[in-house]
Amino acid sequence: MRLLALLAISFFSGLSFTASEYKCGSIECYEFRADIRDKESLQRGLAAYMNYCYGCHSLKYSRYKRVAEDLAIPLDIYEQNLIFDDSKIGDLMHISLKESKAIELLGAKPPDLTLEARLRSPEWIYTYLDTFYEDSSRPYGVNNKVYVNVSMPHVLEDIQSELTEEEYDRYIADITNFLTYVSDPSAETRKQLGIYVILFLLIFTAFAYLVYREFKKDLK
Amino acid sequence: MATDTRTKRLLNWVDFRFPLTEVFERHLSKYPAPTNLNIWYLFGFLLIVVLAMQIVTGLWLMMNYTNSAEEAFSSVEYIMRDVEYGWLIRYMHAAGASAFFALIYLHMFRGMMYGSYQKPRELIWLGGWFTYLILMAEGFTGYVLPWGQMSFWAAQVIISLFSSIPVVGEDLATWIRGDYLVSGITLSRLFAFHVVLLPILLIAIVFFHILALHEIGSNNPDGIDVKKHLDEDGVPLDTKPFFPYDISHDIFALGVFLIIFCSVVFFFPTGGGYIIEYVNYEPANPLSTPAHIVPSWYYTPFYAMLRAVDFPLFGLTAKFLGFATMMAAVAIFAVLPWLDRSPVKSIKYKGILSKTFLGIFVVSFFALCYLGMVPPTETKALLSKIFTIGYFSYFLLMPIYTRIEKCKPVPERVAQV
Repeated sequence: MRLLALLAISFFSGLSFTASEYKCGSIECYEFRADIRDKESLQRGLAAYMNYCYGCHSLKYSRYKRVAEDLAIPLDIYEQNLIFDDSKIGDLMHISLKESKAIELLGAKPPDLTLEARLRSPEWIYTYLDTFYEDSSRPYGVNNKVYVNVSMPHVLEDIQSELTEEEYDRYIADITNFLTYVSDPSAETRKQLGIYVILFLLIFTAFAYLVYREFKKDLK
Repeated sequence: MATDTRTKRLLNWVDFRFPLTEVFERHLSKYPAPTNLNIWYLFGFLLIVVLAMQIVTGLWLMMNYTNSAEEAFSSVEYIMRDVEYGWLIRYMHAAGASAFFALIYLHMFRGMMYGSYQKPRELIWLGGWFTYLILMAEGFTGYVLPWGQMSFWAAQVIISLFSSIPVVGEDLATWIRGDYLVSGITLSRLFAFHVVLLPILLIAIVFFHILALHEIGSNNPDGIDVKKHLDEDGVPLDTKPFFPYDISHDIFALGVFLIIFCSVVFFFPTGGGYIIEYVNYEPANPLSTPAHIVPSWYYTPFYAMLRAVDFPLFGLTAKFLGFATMMAAVAIFAVLPWLDRSPVKSIKYKGILSKTFLGIFVVSFFALCYLGMVPPTETKALLSKIFTIGYFSYFLLMPIYTRIEKCKPVPERVAQV
């Protein structure tokens, strides 16, 4: 049995993991670690998202109020500055662009991005936002290395030209952080609660072990 | 001690009408468990706990889930975001499914290792096997409910397998789907199976499984028949009562299990894509097929077999043969008690051939599990074929190798081990 197990291990470690494609389209993903604890970054990311992305990309599984509360933004300030239509603060974050209109204007329906960071990964979003390049063969004159032949224009073009490279990297990092947060808003609560749960279980298990050991003595 | 006698009187009143004390003592407090049980004997208890957890979390999920093609996906996100602790309930249920399979595989392997399926425990084994079948159906139907891309396409692939059956296949697949394609109709019927029919069957069979076990008594790592030596009360000498000896062991094990389980639920709830696939974060879209459709890890050994059979034979299509192989791989567990001709139960006393073939089975199972997860290549297809043969050789050659090998003598008593 042991010999077989050894054979199996050596055999599997020999297997090559040949990835047929990159995780980020035509290139490797850039290194990026989302930090959803950085509230200021999340707030900047939210502002950028609402101004540059939200025109086309809804966050329809999320609610304005939840975002405001989680990002520590007072509700009245949020309502005045970050709700653009007649939505109530408790509403889901739908956009006013109709699907038929979007197809007429852009040729395709821009996807909802609530879960994009879970579907694709934060690295993917970050790399995507960083790899637009000029390509005159495309309708908007730009192409993307991650999403090859994407039908989206480079909406951050002006921002990118105004900012230094470092500032732009921070800008898209903020957006990515925000999208990572919104894809799993309970992540922080979950991890905090998890620590207590595990601590309780460790104590519980320690006592359970002592009880078990005590009864085991009877059997000897 | 007025309350004490009052409780006793109440108990007497009940016992006169229903064997409460007797049932409790027989199945719980005084159930005689062999003294040499080891760590492999914990999984049955843990499975019961996980079953209970799945029922409770499932009930709460159901309170907020909507079983229509239009609403299913967003109702899951509603649970994740708007329902109080909805994320916890949902992650527990999703990770619970994986835990259920991990534990049942360990539990089954224990039975295979120590010959727990042998006479007189054939019906216990069959009950367990049937539980496993229902669990597979339960896992599949539950997987479809979030109605993400992987849910939809997994349902599409699995149900279309039935269409490979000659003559009746196409009609059968349509009948199962209730539609020509997987649709909202399919979703709601799978939901009905998942929350009503299959859980009822599961509970009934688990009940049967435990009742049969308690009638015959537990096997043990040495395969010694403890009932041969009884004390003056008719209790086997080499056993100890379930309470407090086994329950204290089980509760300690439960603590260890929960530490692992909760670490996953709270810190790695998607399990790196093995518990909740990332592709499933996109709503079901019948017009766009994901690049790489894979079933959950607990089905991948059988999926690898499906793909391994890529040749037609005797006028039957490769797809049907693959499907049949996959079904046979699950079904063959049922006849295990009649394939084993060994005079001893436990692998400890069986010969080198039994040990080798069990080893081949384990290696094949893990290898197929891996091969079913990765995109197929020519080498991997060949490996899948080899390991499929390895998997079946354990079962099909068993009547031969268990008869010709030389076994070690089994001790009379546990103390002599």
